[in-house]
Amino acid sequence: MRHGPDDFFTDDRIETRGIDRRLLARLLRYVLPHRRLLAAALAALLCGTACHLAGPYLLKIVIDRHVMTGRLSGMGGWVLLYLGSLAGAMGFLYLQMYAVSILGQRVILALRREMFARMQRLPVVFFDRTPTGRLMTRLTSDVEALQELLSSGLVSTIGDVAVLAGTTAILLWMDLRLALVTFAVLPALVLFVELLKKRIREANREMRRKLARMNAFLQEHVTGVAVVKAFGMEGKSQRRFDALNGEYAAESVRLTNLYSIYFPGVEMLASIAVALLLWRGGVGLLSGAVTFGTLVAFLEYARRFYDPIKDMSDKYNILQTALASSERIFRLLDEEISPEYAESPPEPALDARPPPSPRASGSAAAVPAVEFRDVWFSYPRPAGGETAGGGEGPPVLRGVTFVLEEGRTGAIVGATGAGKTTVLSLLCRFYEIRRGKILLFGRDIREIPREELRGSLALVLQDPFLFSGTVRENVAAGGEAVGAALAAIGVERFTREWGEGLATDVGERGVRLSTGQRQMVSFARALAREPRVLLLDEATSSVDPVTEGRIQGALAGILPGRTALVVAHRLSTVLSADRIIVMHKGKVREMGTHRELLAAEGIYRRLYALQFEEGSGPGAGIPEHF
Amino acid sequence: MYALCVVGLFVSSVFGLLVPWMTREAVDAVSAARGGGPPGEGRLLRAVGLMVLFSILYAAFRFLSRRSLFVAARDVEREVRGRLFSHVVRLPIRFFHATPTGDVMSRLTNDLSAVWVFLGPGLLMLVGTVISWLLAVAFMLRISPMLTGVSLLIAPAVVYLSREYGRAFHLRHRLVQESLASMNAALQENISGIRLVKAFTLETREEERFSGECERYYRHNLAVARTSAAFHGAIGLLAGVGVALVLFLGGRAVVQGTLTLGGLVAFNAYLAMLSFPTMAMGWVINLFQRGSSAMGRINEFLRLPVEFPEGGTETAGEGKAPVEDSAGSGIGEPPLLEVRGLAFSHGGDGRGEALRGVSFSVRKGEVLGLVGPTGGGKSTLFSLLSGLFPAPPGTVFLEGIDASTIPLPELRRRFAVVSQDPFLFSDSVLENVCFGRGQTDPGAARNATGLARFLAEVEEMPNGFDTVVGERGISLSGGQKQRVTIARALCSGAPILLLDDALSAVDAETEREIFEGILPEKGERTVLFSTHRMASLSRCDRILVLADGRIVEEGTHDDLLSLRGAYFDLYSRQMLARELEESS
Repeated sequence: MRHGPDDFFTDDRIETRGIDRRLLARLLRYVLPHRRLLAAALAALLCGTACHLAGPYLLKIVIDRHVMTGRLSGMGGWVLLYLGSLAGAMGFLYLQMYAVSILGQRVILALRREMFARMQRLPVVFFDRTPTGRLMTRLTSDVEALQELLSSGLVSTIGDVAVLAGTTAILLWMDLRLALVTFAVLPALVLFVELLKKRIREANREMRRKLARMNAFLQEHVTGVAVVKAFGMEGKSQRRFDALNGEYAAESVRLTNLYSIYFPGVEMLASIAVALLLWRGGVGLLSGAVTFGTLVAFLEYARRFYDPIKDMSDKYNILQTALASSERIFRLLDEEISPEYAESPPEPALDARPPPSPRASGSAAAVPAVEFRDVWFSYPRPAGGETAGGGEGPPVLRGVTFVLEEGRTGAIVGATGAGKTTVLSLLCRFYEIRRGKILLFGRDIREIPREELRGSLALVLQDPFLFSGTVRENVAAGGEAVGAALAAIGVERFTREWGEGLATDVGERGVRLSTGQRQMVSFARALAREPRVLLLDEATSSVDPVTEGRIQGALAGILPGRTALVVAHRLSTVLSADRIIVMHKGKVREMGTHRELLAAEGIYRRLYALQFEEGSGPGAGIPEHF
Repeated sequence: MYALCVVGLFVSSVFGLLVPWMTREAVDAVSAARGGGPPGEGRLLRAVGLMVLFSILYAAFRFLSRRSLFVAARDVEREVRGRLFSHVVRLPIRFFHATPTGDVMSRLTNDLSAVWVFLGPGLLMLVGTVISWLLAVAFMLRISPMLTGVSLLIAPAVVYLSREYGRAFHLRHRLVQESLASMNAALQENISGIRLVKAFTLETREEERFSGECERYYRHNLAVARTSAAFHGAIGLLAGVGVALVLFLGGRAVVQGTLTLGGLVAFNAYLAMLSFPTMAMGWVINLFQRGSSAMGRINEFLRLPVEFPEGGTETAGEGKAPVEDSAGSGIGEPPLLEVRGLAFSHGGDGRGEALRGVSFSVRKGEVLGLVGPTGGGKSTLFSLLSGLFPAPPGTVFLEGIDASTIPLPELRRRFAVVSQDPFLFSDSVLENVCFGRGQTDPGAARNATGLARFLAEVEEMPNGFDTVVGERGISLSGGQKQRVTIARALCSGAPILLLDDALSAVDAETEREIFEGILPEKGERTVLFSTHRMASLSRCDRILVLADGRIVEEGTHDDLLSLRGAYFDLYSRQMLARELEESS
C-alpha cells in the first residue's frame, strides 16, 4: 500500500498502532548486510548469558563442596572460575553492546546516505511543499530513533529472553519445588508491571504532547513577540503560558507518581520473592532436602530473573517509537523521484549522438539555442491544510512561444507574476510542463540526459545562494573554468579587500558576504561552468551604489556575445539585450529591441514609463529597477 | 520539603539495608539449628516475616521520598520556566532582534530540563548514594571488618575510573554533538539550496559532502561506544575481583568459624547494592555540572533589564487604556497625537530606515494617510508611535503628555498596530481575533471580523470561529491572514489604529470595502494608514508623503495632486500600472 503524498506533510504523530510486520521485514533488510556483526553480537550475547547464568551455580559449588565441608584445598580454583564467570559476563556484555552499536551506526549511516541520495533526486515540487524542518526531522531524529531500536532494543531483548529462559531451566533442574516458590511472585509481578506499564505509557505520551504544546507556544511567542508587545498583552500571554506550564507540570507529576510506585513496587515484590525463597529454602535446609549452596544460588538466580522483567515495558516503548519513525523514513524513501533522474533516459547511443559543438556551429546556425513552443504550465497545488493536494493550480504560462538564437542575449521583462522566473525554471526542467515543447539547440529537453542538459546551462538565482566554504570552492562548484570566471567578474579584486582573498570563508549560506558580494560570486560560479546558455534572474533588491556599479560592470563584461536568457530588472541590462521578451500574465505579449518596442507604444512602452522615466518630484526616489 | 525527602531517603535506605540483614538472620538460624543448636523454625519465620515487612516499608518510604523530591523538582522547574517566560516576554524588542530564536528557545527548554534532571533524578541519586554508602558500610563493618576493608580498597579505583570515564565521555560526546550539528547544517544548506544543487548537477558532490559528515558523526559515535565499553569492562572486572576476593576470603573465614554463612551471603548482597550507585557517581557529577551551567545561562537572561517594571501597569482588564471622554474638542486642547522633530536610527550598523526630524499632529477621529517609497521610514514611524521601540523623550505626545513618560504597556494599548507581515498564533480564529483583549468576546470578534470583510470566509470554515489556523491547523492565504490581523486590531478596542501597508495582499476592491467599514466609526477611532493604493489614499482626511526619513509633502489628496510634486508623480505611476493591469 502506498500512502498518499499528503500523509508525509500532515502528520508527525508520536503514536502508532501496534507492530507492523512488513515494516520489521523491511528494516531487517538494512541489518542483513551486516550479518557477521550481528552474528558476533549474538555470539557475545550467548556467551555473556552463559557466564551470567553460570555464576550462581559456581557459587553453589564453592559453598557446598568447600565452605560447608571445611575443605579449603581446591576452593581457589572454583573462586577463580567464579571470577571468570563474572568477568566474562561483563566482558561479553560490553562486547555485545559495542558490536551492536557498530551495527546500529552502520545501518543508520547507510540509511541516512540513502535518504539523502533519494532526496537529491526528488522533484523541486516536493521541496516547495515540504517544510525544511520536517525534512530535517526525517534525517535526524527519526533515524536516531531507529538507531536506538537497534542498539538498545532488539539485541538486548533477545538477551533478556535468553536470561529468562536459561534461569527458568536451571532453577527447574536444580530444585523443582524451590523453583516453583521462586516463580510464585511472578504472576503478581507481571500483573503489576502490565497494569502500570499501560498507564505509564499513556502518561508519557500525554506528557510529551503537553510538552510539545508548551514548546510550540513558546516558539510562537518568541517569534511573534512584537505582536504581544504591540497589544500590550504580556500579562495575558503569561497567564496562558502559566496554564500550559501548569498542565505540563501536572502531567509530569502524574508520571512521576506512577514511576515512584513502579520502581519501589518491583523491588518490593522481588524482595518478597527472596523472603519466600528463604523461608521454603530454610525449611528445606532444616530437613536436609536442600543444601546451603542451592539456597544461595537460588537467591542469586532470583535476582537475575527479576531484573529483565523490570524494564520490559521501556523496550516496548522504544520499539513503538522506532517503528513510527521508520514508517516516516520509508515514506520518504518511497517518494517518487523526478523524471529527469530516471534510470535510462531516451538518449541515443553515445557515439551516435550528434556532436553539438558549443560555438563552432556554422551550418547549424539555423537551429536556435532556446526555443519555447506553445508552453503551458501551472504549479501543482500546494498540499497544505485540509484540501487534497496533487491538483493543478491556475496556469502560470499560457502558450509561451519564443526563440533565442545562439550568441544572443534575451531579456525577459514584465510585471510581477508575469511568469518570468518560471521560464528559467522550466528550461532547467525543475518542473514538467503541461503542454508544448521546450527545445535546447533543437532537442526536446525531455530527451536530453539530465547531466548534459544542466551541464550546458548555468543558473544565477535572484537570491544568490552560496554554499558554506571558501569563495574559491563556491566558484569551483560551478565548473572547471574557475580562473577565467574570476577574472571576468573581477571577484579577485574585491576579495582581496577582505584579507584572505579567495580563501575567505563565506559562512553558512554565504551570510558573511553582503548581498552584492554574493551576487558577484554567484556570477562567477555560473561562468566557471562555461555554459552554452546562461540563465540569469536579476536580483530586485537594491544594493549600495559601489556594488551596483561593480555588478553592472560585471554584467557588461559577461553578456555581449553570450547566449543568455535574463529576467531583467536593470535598465542597463534591458538596453544591452539583443531581444526583449515582454511577458504579461503568462503570455509573451511583445518581442523586439528596445527601440522597436518603444515605437510600438504597447505594454513595454508603459512598463518603461512606469519603472524608468524620472519622476518630476523630489524624493520619489524609485530605484532604477524593473 | 527537601529535608523531608532526605529523612524519607534515610529511612527507606535503612529498611532497604535491613532486608539483606534478615537474609543473614535466616541463614544463620538454619545453620545454627543444623549445627545442633536450638530449633531454627521460629527464628527463620521471624527473619522472613521481618524481611517482608522491611521490604514493604522500604518501598513505602522510597515511594514517598522519590515522589516528594521529584514533585519538588518539578515545582522548581515550573516556577523557573514561568518566571523566565514572563521575564523574556518583557524584554525589549531589541533583545529579540539581537538574539537568535534558537538561543532563546534552548534556554526555555533544554537548559530548564537540565536543571530539572539535576534537581530530580540527579539529587535523588546523589543523596541516596551518600546515605546508602554510609549505612551499608556500617552494616558491612558489623558483619566483617576484614571483608569491608578489602572491598573498600576497590571503591576509590571505581570512583576514579568513573570520574575519568565521565571526563572522556564528556569530551567525546561533545565531538558527537559538534559533528551532529555540522551534519545538520550541511543538510539544511542542501535543502535550502536544492535548486542550485540541481541546476549545477551538484548532487554527487553534495552526497559526498553529506556522506563525509555522516561518517564523521559515525566515527565519533563509535568512539563514545568504545569508551563506554572499555570503561564498563574495566569496572566489571574490578567489581568481579572484589566479589571473588570476598567469596574466597569470606569462605575461608566461614570455614575457620570467624564468619557465619549468613553473614557472607548478606555481605555479598550489600556489595551488590553498592556497586551500581558507586558507578553512577560519575554520571551524577556530570549532571550537576550541566545543571549548574544551564542555571547560569538561565540567570543570564533573568538578569537582563526588562523594558518596564513588572506589575501595576496591567490593571485595565479590557486591554484598553482609560481614555478621557470628558471634554469635547475645545480650542486650546492638545491634539490627540503630536510628533515633534522626531529623529531616530536603528543601531549603529547603518542598516534600516531612519527618521530625520519628522513633525506632524493628528486630531481625534482623523484619518491620516501615509505614503512614500520603501525605506522611506513609514514602518519606523509606526514602531516608534506605538512604543515598540521607545521614542526619545520630548518627541511624541499623546493628548499633550510625553509618550516616554507613559508606561509602555499602557502606551501600546492605545494603539492597535497591523504590521506589514501578518503574524498569527496557531490557535482558533476567535482567539486570534480577540488576542488584543483581556477576555475572549465572540460578539466583538464577530463584529470586527465583519468589518475586516472576513466573516463570510470564517463561516465557511469547518469549525467557524473555532477553526484552528496556522501550523497546527489550516493555512490561510496572505490576504486572509491580513484580514485576521485587521480584525484583531479592530477588536482590541484601541482608540488609534495604525495600519502599516496592512492590505497589500488584499485586492483593491476588498481594500475599499474594509476601508469603508472602518470609516463610519472614525468619529471615535483615529486611523493612521500607510498604503500604495491611491483609491484608499484619496479618502483620507490628510496625507503625509514620507521619503528619506522626512515629510516632503502634506495635505489632502487634491492639494497634493495640484502640487504636481512627489505625490502627483506617484499618482500618475499608479494610474499607469492600473491601466497596464487591466489590459490583458
